[in-house]
Amino acid sequence: MRKSAFLLATLYSVYSFAQTTAIDIQNAVAFVATNNVDLVKKPASVEVERGPYLQSGTPTSVVVKWRTDKATESVVNYGTSLNSLSKRASSTTLTTEHEVTLSGLTPDTKYYYNIGNKAGILSESNAGEMYVITAPPAGTRQFVRAWILGDAGTANNNQRAVRDAYYDYVADVSTNTGKTDMMLFLGDNAYGEGTDEQYQNALFDIYDEMLKKSVAWSCLGNHDGKSADSKTQSGPYYDIFTFPTAAEAGGIASGTEAYYSFDYGNVHFIILDSHHTSREVGGAMYNWTLTDIQNTKQDWIVTLFHHPVYTKGSHDSDTEGRLIEMRENFMPMMEENGVDLILNGHSHSYERSYFLNGHYGFANTFNPDEISKGGHTVGSTGYGDGREDSDGAYQKNSLDTEGAVYITTGSAGKISGGDLNHQAMSVSLNQLGSCVMEVEDDGKGGQNLTVKFIRETDEIEDYFTINKTALDLKAGGNEQAPKSAMLTYDADKDVVDLKVNKAERLINVKFYNNIGELVMESKKKSIKTGKLSKGLYVVEIITNKKTYSESVTVE
Amino acid sequence: MLDSYTSLNIFVRMNCIISMVTRLYSHKLDGYLTNRVLLIITIFLPGVLFAHGDLDERIAGKTSEIAENPNDFNLYYERGLLYQEHKEYTNALEDYLKSRSLGNTDKAINYSIAEVHYLSEDYNKALKSIDSYLDMDSKDVKGKKLEAQILFRLQLYKRSVEAYRYVINNMIDIRPEDILEYGDIILAENDENYKGAIEAIESGLAKLGPHTLSLQLKKLDYLKASDQIEKALEQYNYFILQYDRKEFWYYKKAKYLSEVNRPDEAVVSLKLATIAIEQLDTKFKNMTPVIELKEQIKNLENFINNHKL
Repeated sequence: MRKSAFLLATLYSVYSFAQTTAIDIQNAVAFVATNNVDLVKKPASVEVERGPYLQSGTPTSVVVKWRTDKATESVVNYGTSLNSLSKRASSTTLTTEHEVTLSGLTPDTKYYYNIGNKAGILSESNAGEMYVITAPPAGTRQFVRAWILGDAGTANNNQRAVRDAYYDYVADVSTNTGKTDMMLFLGDNAYGEGTDEQYQNALFDIYDEMLKKSVAWSCLGNHDGKSADSKTQSGPYYDIFTFPTAAEAGGIASGTEAYYSFDYGNVHFIILDSHHTSREVGGAMYNWTLTDIQNTKQDWIVTLFHHPVYTKGSHDSDTEGRLIEMRENFMPMMEENGVDLILNGHSHSYERSYFLNGHYGFANTFNPDEISKGGHTVGSTGYGDGREDSDGAYQKNSLDTEGAVYITTGSAGKISGGDLNHQAMSVSLNQLGSCVMEVEDDGKGGQNLTVKFIRETDEIEDYFTINKTALDLKAGGNEQAPKSAMLTYDADKDVVDLKVNKAERLINVKFYNNIGELVMESKKKSIKTGKLSKGLYVVEIITNKKTYSESVTVE
Repeated sequence: MLDSYTSLNIFVRMNCIISMVTRLYSHKLDGYLTNRVLLIITIFLPGVLFAHGDLDERIAGKTSEIAENPNDFNLYYERGLLYQEHKEYTNALEDYLKSRSLGNTDKAINYSIAEVHYLSEDYNKALKSIDSYLDMDSKDVKGKKLEAQILFRLQLYKRSVEAYRYVINNMIDIRPEDILEYGDIILAENDENYKGAIEAIESGLAKLGPHTLSLQLKKLDYLKASDQIEKALEQYNYFILQYDRKEFWYYKKAKYLSEVNRPDEAVVSLKLATIAIEQLDTKFKNMTPVIELKEQIKNLENFINNHKL
């Protein structure tokens, strides 16, 4: 019995490593051959060992990080013209782990840069392949493209093939060719323990070209969590990445890099830690998420965390604790508050749901009926494939705000099969690939959010679109208080005039500011407002018979 | 028919389960029973196949390695960590102790033993183990934090506060969760010491950023619990002024004003909540939380009006 078991275990071990070992050797050579294309390294005694790579991009700032073999100063030269990098950000501190923040940048603007030290340039690209395009101001409706990579970190040929397929896609795509606004990593970025060396092999060596020109964001995966310690915010994952903790990139300040949010254009991204941090309702991460999602006014809300809420791949969302907790605790709240897209990894497959709302149960409790009929899909197209050229795009508008698509996309480095039969999934594939999310105007006043699954073979194996209409529907203008029957405001004359019922006699008028403080009183029907600062006021009108409550926005 | 990949996958997973069972029961089973166990495993395989993701596989893999190198203390330690992740604390402890008996003198083993005792709610043994760990490195913040948590469970609150204070003062990358836990421990030691708890929150805000949400929320809780009404109202105003969406905060403030018997101010805050909702984009107005909020506003208005009469 022991011998049989041992034999079986040995066979398994051989199988497990077969996916990576043989092909790695070939690709190590391939990488060395391609790494320096277009990049010029000036002779210097100090060598760049890692990067540069871009972090925490905002409309006006970005963090540039790199590693050198010897401790030296940090210098970034940058500018909007490749031939004139006239601006400089630097630090005289001698270090091998360089982190320089470029601030005061213009939104939605391309800045070329190089890195170096006091002695000179250490890494640059004469072909202009080292640049950052700053984020557009929050709320801007313009084209956005995000490259989504789940469980990529095998450092083998699979990962490279998936990468190359995306590079081919973005080079050939007809709209916004070559543009990748951000990379979204769904965790398990470096197998098996997320060590610094494994990150070098599986992240920096693989995506070097893209990391120099596209800001990378990530959530923590379980394999990253083996070497990273969220309790102390330390370890390779936390050392390598620099994420906003104080709402520097939008959203609400979380105070931790384990979970955070950022805005890009009209999309709000919420990044959660499903591995280390408490997933309890009422816990710190839950409270932060609730406040963050209820504070955004963005058109689109996308969330990412590692553990999938719906999967029947190499993990099972019916039986595994973290997956169930994220689904049962976080998703009701996030769906109620308008989340559009949920991106997960962990299962090494691609599973993409219908247009869902209010499920949260086991796979076998999924009801494909529309929500108005007691089911879990939204709209007439909700149980379709979501394709504009087939069953039709999924629809959301200002009146019908429900509906979200869940994607488990953890096959950017390997595939691990599974039953792949979750009932809530429109598509379940045991195939290598990554996803691209594109947000753009639909040409009819609305917007489309389209996600494509790009296989390692360059084929687009799945795609769907969420279409949002009536995005601009506002009630009475966003800045104006509703019109009142008793009160008129003349901004030019700085006067509020009251119209009191003839049967009543005005006793007193009170003005309360936007935090409810009493700031002015009057007994007149015509009241000068020149001394009031701009803003919203509640006006309490007291007559001999009744007290009325009105509002006015002083301009 | 299963395709070749699926067959291989099932084969691999069977191997993992068989390896585990073999390890656990091989000394007890004769040939007949072994066959029965295998039969049962095969019958129930589909149900358990993916129950724990890849953790089972990794434990089985480590078991295979141990079979090859039975005296390698690192392997036992590594398998113990996997068991711990799998919440099999008895097996984890067994492996840690075996690792130590084989010569593992690394201080990490003592931390893991303490942690698994803590997770098993055996706090006295946990304390003994973490003390051994701290004997080797008394300045280790991770160890001090676990010590504080163990002392808290043992209701040795004063010592727990001291240990946690050390953590707060010395941890480089502190989290909001640490500050929140510290505040709770301070109050456990003395349930009237809101001053100390709020100071802890303030120190956290100074370290993590003045707008760290979970700390600001906890500060509000403490101010309310300690009946510091004016400061609590200031704290509500902080949220109102800080955030773009104000409707929820206006309502929460109104509810608090009502609770502290200040109905007139509550009415003004409810009015502000209503206006804030009216100014929202249509899509937000049609979301369930806002629809529910409108109902809550109406109910509170009615409640206040009824009590005024």
